[in-house]
Amino acid sequence: MAREQPLPERVTLLGIRHHGPGSARMVAAALEAVRPEVVLIEGPPEGDALLPHVPDLTPPVALLLHDEAEPARAAFWPFAEFSPEWRAMKWAHANGVPVRFFDLPAAASLAEPSDSPDSPDAPGDEPGDEPGGESGGECGGECGGDEPKAALDPLGTLAEAAGFDDPERWWEDVVEHHTDPEDLAEAVAEAMGALREEFADQVDARTLRREAAMRQNVRQALKDVEGPIAVVAGAWHVPALRTLPPASVDAAALKGLPRKKISGTWVPWSHGRLASASGYGAGIASPGWYAHLWECAERGDAVPRWFARACAVLRAEDLPASTASAVEAVRLADALAAMRGRPSPGLSEVMEASLAVLCGGDATPLRLVHEQLVVGERLGEVGDDVPTSPLAADLARLRKRLRLPVSAMAKPIRLDLRKDTDRERSKLLRRLEVLDVPWGTPDTTRTLGTFAEAWQLHWKPEFEVALAVAARHGTTVEAAARTVLVTGAGDARRVVDAAESLSRSVGCEIPEAVAAARQALDRCAAAATDALELLAALPDLATTVRYGSVRGTDPELLRVALHGLLARGAVGLPLACRGVDEDTAERAVRAVEGADDAVRLAADEEHRETWQRALKSLVAMPDAHGLPTGRATRLLWETGAIDSDEVAARLHRAVSLAAGATAFVAGFVRGSASLLTADSRLFGVVDEWLTGLSGADFAAALPLLRRAVGEFSPAERRMLGDRVKGTAAGGAAGGAAASSEWDEELAARLAGHVRELLAAGT
Amino acid sequence: MTTESVLRPAAEQQYAAELAALAAADDRPRPPQWRMSPQAVVTYVLGGRLADGTVITPKYVGDRRLVEVAVGTLVTDRALLLVGVPGTAKSWLSEHIAAAVSGDSTLVVQGTAGTGEDQVRYGWNYARLIAEGPSEAALVASPVMKAMRTGAVARIEELTRMPAEVQDSFITILSEKTLPVPELGIQVQAVPGFTVIATANDRDRGVNQMSSALARRFNTVVLPPPATEDAEVEIVSARSAQLGRALQLPAEPPALEEVRRVVRIFRELRNGSTVDGRTQLKKPSGSLSTAEAISVVTSGMALAGHFGDGTITADELASGLLGAVVKDRVSDTAAWREYLEAVVKERAEWRDLYRACQDAVG
Repeated sequence: MAREQPLPERVTLLGIRHHGPGSARMVAAALEAVRPEVVLIEGPPEGDALLPHVPDLTPPVALLLHDEAEPARAAFWPFAEFSPEWRAMKWAHANGVPVRFFDLPAAASLAEPSDSPDSPDAPGDEPGDEPGGESGGECGGECGGDEPKAALDPLGTLAEAAGFDDPERWWEDVVEHHTDPEDLAEAVAEAMGALREEFADQVDARTLRREAAMRQNVRQALKDVEGPIAVVAGAWHVPALRTLPPASVDAAALKGLPRKKISGTWVPWSHGRLASASGYGAGIASPGWYAHLWECAERGDAVPRWFARACAVLRAEDLPASTASAVEAVRLADALAAMRGRPSPGLSEVMEASLAVLCGGDATPLRLVHEQLVVGERLGEVGDDVPTSPLAADLARLRKRLRLPVSAMAKPIRLDLRKDTDRERSKLLRRLEVLDVPWGTPDTTRTLGTFAEAWQLHWKPEFEVALAVAARHGTTVEAAARTVLVTGAGDARRVVDAAESLSRSVGCEIPEAVAAARQALDRCAAAATDALELLAALPDLATTVRYGSVRGTDPELLRVALHGLLARGAVGLPLACRGVDEDTAERAVRAVEGADDAVRLAADEEHRETWQRALKSLVAMPDAHGLPTGRATRLLWETGAIDSDEVAARLHRAVSLAAGATAFVAGFVRGSASLLTADSRLFGVVDEWLTGLSGADFAAALPLLRRAVGEFSPAERRMLGDRVKGTAAGGAAGGAAASSEWDEELAARLAGHVRELLAAGT
Repeated sequence: MTTESVLRPAAEQQYAAELAALAAADDRPRPPQWRMSPQAVVTYVLGGRLADGTVITPKYVGDRRLVEVAVGTLVTDRALLLVGVPGTAKSWLSEHIAAAVSGDSTLVVQGTAGTGEDQVRYGWNYARLIAEGPSEAALVASPVMKAMRTGAVARIEELTRMPAEVQDSFITILSEKTLPVPELGIQVQAVPGFTVIATANDRDRGVNQMSSALARRFNTVVLPPPATEDAEVEIVSARSAQLGRALQLPAEPPALEEVRRVVRIFRELRNGSTVDGRTQLKKPSGSLSTAEAISVVTSGMALAGHFGDGTITADELASGLLGAVVKDRVSDTAAWREYLEAVVKERAEWRDLYRACQDAVG
């Protein structure tokens, strides 16, 4: 008969709030009392195979499941020490009771559309992460767009009804602080039942499907065992599990779900990722506080211990925090709790008391307390025996060998590349970067010599997904990086890409990849028609040449490549600057500058000359764009290839043909205000040319100069001005004019000139 | 003396009815010497409606948590320090809390550069001292000493304006809760309920930094300027209407629109940018507090009532605005002119205000 059947008595439903220490206590106590023969936990059944590893784990950890064919489709189910699900697993393990996940298979939930596979920031696209049984916006805004979303926050609604403005606080008061956890289950179930009835129309199809799967699994468990069964699920699902409709109805609801091969592992998780602060869809704001509550529950000294720890945090930063203040803080927190009618101080009371008593009303030290205690950064650990991909295992081996422990906090390190271990470390970090696992970021703020590198190490749990993705490229870090680099080199179409690939390969010290990138460079260079593109690749290459010797690649090999590019780029340069628009001219200036640096850094004598010839012919080219020409003139003058007279002549000539003159002057003086002030020779050249201009010429050059100088920052302009005044005062010619007196005559002349300019303009 | 016959009645006089109703309706436990429970004090300050229908007007508009921390501090007989920029209702809050807790907000020591120790501890009636020698009858108790004897709240206004050595005489009082009188060989021991509410501002010039020994003996609550324009408009219009009544101004309470304009000008100049965040402004040297906004509106009401037709217009506000903004002749005048040209002139519906302010600046 197709009727709803009540759930048999022997099934105990434990409606919980994910990551709630109160719920965790409730589950632990209930399991002890019921002593079930099997425990069902909300979570994907594919994770069952990993459950035997629970004793090897130190929370916070997360269950990571991904599609085998498409590893980027992955999701995490995080568990903290104080998660009810975690307590259930621990209990089952300690008592030798089988435990199973009984939610919808991950194969189905991962296959849902529109989760962005390549955004590691939003992997928690899963109900398992929800703090309070699927509170509103269940997937952090990432859910399938075609399903009607439950625009519903069950906890918020209940809390509002109870007169609380914050659902977290309400739950904390009603559940977390409840002294007798065992009879809570029934109360939670009833409240949720009422809520579900009221909002029945807002339950989305996905939730219904999940609950159908849950019921199917409960039926299976009922068949499997004769004795009591405990079910740990988000409070929101409890009403749906209290009655069992005919199995055929649920079977129909689950028909046609995608089947996929799913594999997974346990990965270390962090409190920071549990906290909603890090953009983790719906997390808990205060994992550190909850962990504290959990740890202190036995001893019953949560509040005093909290302030003792807060004082320790402040003292570690040399801020005054005495034991006497801690005593006062405890008293204030108690008084606040009493005034607000709460059974004991909650997070808001302890934080407000910390602010008023320990921090003197200043929010800055309070932030320290928040970071270190309320969030309380902590990274979980996963034992060695937990199965991982060969790649992850290789990484773990390397980490151990190179003594690079993972840490959830950013940590700077310095590597001396002359030491073998450090070089290996640098190699590992670079290879991981190639695999999209940016564990280390090169710290470029501190410029170090050829032999030293600075890195910032920061392990993030979502790297595990990238590792899973990379696992198909190879079984070791080296092999995977080699595959990625060789493929990347083969795909390179532009010289710049090939050069970048080459420098990455050299950094990773993978000879095959270096060879492949060399070939790619030759191939791209041969096909390249744009001289600027060739030249743009030079700076990257030059750095590589410099570091090549440290990196175990023959620098000569690279130098040959550099020279090849330089030779071809140099020939094409003058033509590439002819008849071009502003944007191309900008590119040309950058290419000329970069190439010049590269030449000075890495080229041999012969090729330096080649480059100089190229610059000279650019300067001589009459219709080349002024910007690169000006720059080239300047570069030539700096190396002494042309003398100051010639520069002055060039400046004159440039100004005499109005078009392009600004560009020339701009290109010549640009970005070098400090050089212009400091280098007396350069200053002399410009100064001489300026003072040598006739009145009419000067007037013609004025707007151009204004625009060229306009690019300097105000500070640079002032410096330049001071310098001009200094010369004028020091020089024999301008001595009289530099007096502080108001020069009526000079002013009149200036005013006249300005009037003329204005008249000309209108 | 009725409250009608004084210029500014004390909080416990002005709101005597509310206080009595609160105390009558209050069935929660009261700390020793308190007139009502801490919850009732919070209700008195933030306003509400009692079971018997009495409406309690809100005295302070702002974060409930701040008020709760302040009152909670007094429950633990710790001293309370209210800190904030000028005009953030520090003294106002202190007066009302004292009135609600001990029914007496007049045990005040006003901190100035000239405040001496005898105003904080005790002085002598010299005639008597000479005639009878040192005796308790010749002792002149300070407000603090009186509060200690009766278990009441003593208020210290502008604590940081006192010389540092005078400030430090509070250390014994706050930590030992006794006040020794060596001349008589006695000590006054505080009755339960005694506590201190001090106010200090952290912005003004001419303050003496508190020693950390003293600072440790206070719980500190920082009172922020009103968080939103709407909250500030509410404060300004409510207060100026009240003041208008107290001063018996013949003018109508100001239209919300005028209050909103004043508040917006104050907020924009205080923050150094316009509401839409598009224009950067010079900040004048004054603090431009909510209290000053209230006084601009009330002086506008006075002008309108006595010299105008009883409704506030831009003309009445302009001179008040000028006086509030321009504290330093040169730099503030420049900032004000710039604001008028760049912001006020651009707002089409503020034309009247622009013209009036132009006239006032001259």
